[in-house]
Amino acid sequence: METYHYPSFPADASHVHIALFKNVSNAAELRSRIVRASLLEGSEGDLEREAVNFAFIDARLICSRVHLQTAIYQAVLAHAQGALRTKTVHSEILWTLNPSNNISEAIRRYGVSDTTAFLIVVRISTANDANVLANMQAVVSGELSRFSLEGITDWASVKKYYKLNSEPALKIQGITLVQERKIIDEIVTSTVAMKSVMT
Amino acid sequence: MTAHTSSSSSLGLISSATAISQGAEAKVYYASLHPAPSPASTTETVDVLIKHRFHKGYRHPSLDNSLTKSRVAGEARALIRCLRCGVHVPGIRMVDAAEGVLALEWIDGKSVRFLLGGGAEGEEEEAADSEDSDVAEAAAQEDDTDPLSEYGATQDELMAMVGAEIAKMHRGDVVHGDLTTSNMMLRHPRSEKGLQLVLIDFGLAYTSTLVEDKAVDLYVLERAFASTHPASEPLFASVLRAYQAGMGREWTAISKRLDDVRLRGRKRSMVG
Repeated sequence: METYHYPSFPADASHVHIALFKNVSNAAELRSRIVRASLLEGSEGDLEREAVNFAFIDARLICSRVHLQTAIYQAVLAHAQGALRTKTVHSEILWTLNPSNNISEAIRRYGVSDTTAFLIVVRISTANDANVLANMQAVVSGELSRFSLEGITDWASVKKYYKLNSEPALKIQGITLVQERKIIDEIVTSTVAMKSVMT
Repeated sequence: MTAHTSSSSSLGLISSATAISQGAEAKVYYASLHPAPSPASTTETVDVLIKHRFHKGYRHPSLDNSLTKSRVAGEARALIRCLRCGVHVPGIRMVDAAEGVLALEWIDGKSVRFLLGGGAEGEEEEAADSEDSDVAEAAAQEDDTDPLSEYGATQDELMAMVGAEIAKMHRGDVVHGDLTTSNMMLRHPRSEKGLQLVLIDFGLAYTSTLVEDKAVDLYVLERAFASTHPASEPLFASVLRAYQAGMGREWTAISKRLDDVRLRGRKRSMVG
């Protein structure tokens, strides 16, 4: 797990924790647990919601570390300005990652699905959030791995969701796969960064 | 000023950034957008140029807010449109429209103006009142090596890259609005994306399909060449040659219109 400290963010969101889990075996359970937590009432509901109070992101749709960091940054910015479009800063990350404004589509595509095997877990919190990693591992059954998206990113799906298949930017003669992926990453990251002013 | 300004995340970021230059519209900084992680798992840094359209005290606050917001949004939209069209422009890294802050990918390179020997931007004013920069400039000229040789490109190749890039942009129906040799940079071959001509400062950009707008865009550049670079005619001719090749069939109409614009200037006559 990696922790980033942003001094300019408000105190309740100054620390960003990012972990990559491979070979996740309980994706379906996790998904239904998140859905259930959102429906529970009373103190039991609060406890359960806190247990899954993370952003669960399907790693296949993330192009690079900067792509993810950009989405997190914009989500925290919206949180700091009281301008969240979704209920929490964690769900805001998923919304920011999706090119459209449809929240349920964002969660369906970028959130955990029944078949998710590579999962990025993000928690945005205060400086004294001691057991983040243990709390992540309590809900995710998978191999905690060094953060690297090499071989994980599903470029075909990224291209499809961002409608890049007919763009002139990718129609360059003799372009290599590595170059093409850099261009895709740049367009996607930039689109995430400017989503708040897209329309 | 709005109530949340004092605790704004973006202004906090700016307070730790290095100021580069200031114009009437915005102040420009250099910063690292994301902190290093702990444990230190990567040395990858996200260097950015921050463009802050600061609060203008001479405007009514609500007008100021809406103008700032729409200009930040306009610049970001023009950039994303260019990116999708394959035009080399800086990537967007952060947008805070409420505060008027835009963070763009840092370009490791030099402006075309500098590479053509026109001096760095803003140098003409600084050189006039600062002994130090006079000395520095003299020393730089003493050196007498063509700054372009470091980039492994000739002047003619550079001009061809300029023409090709503007053609891509115009084919995507983006009009830059302020084409000058200061608003183009050559990305150093050592950078990750390699040697590239990058168009910058889309603050006045808009989308248009009109031949008139594209011709005026070229005319503005022609005038900028004439006023900043000696013997600019052959340089601009190379730009147009590459532009023509990039535009294909659209070129004839734009060329004709460019001749008209040269006769009357950039402002269209309103007579009749």
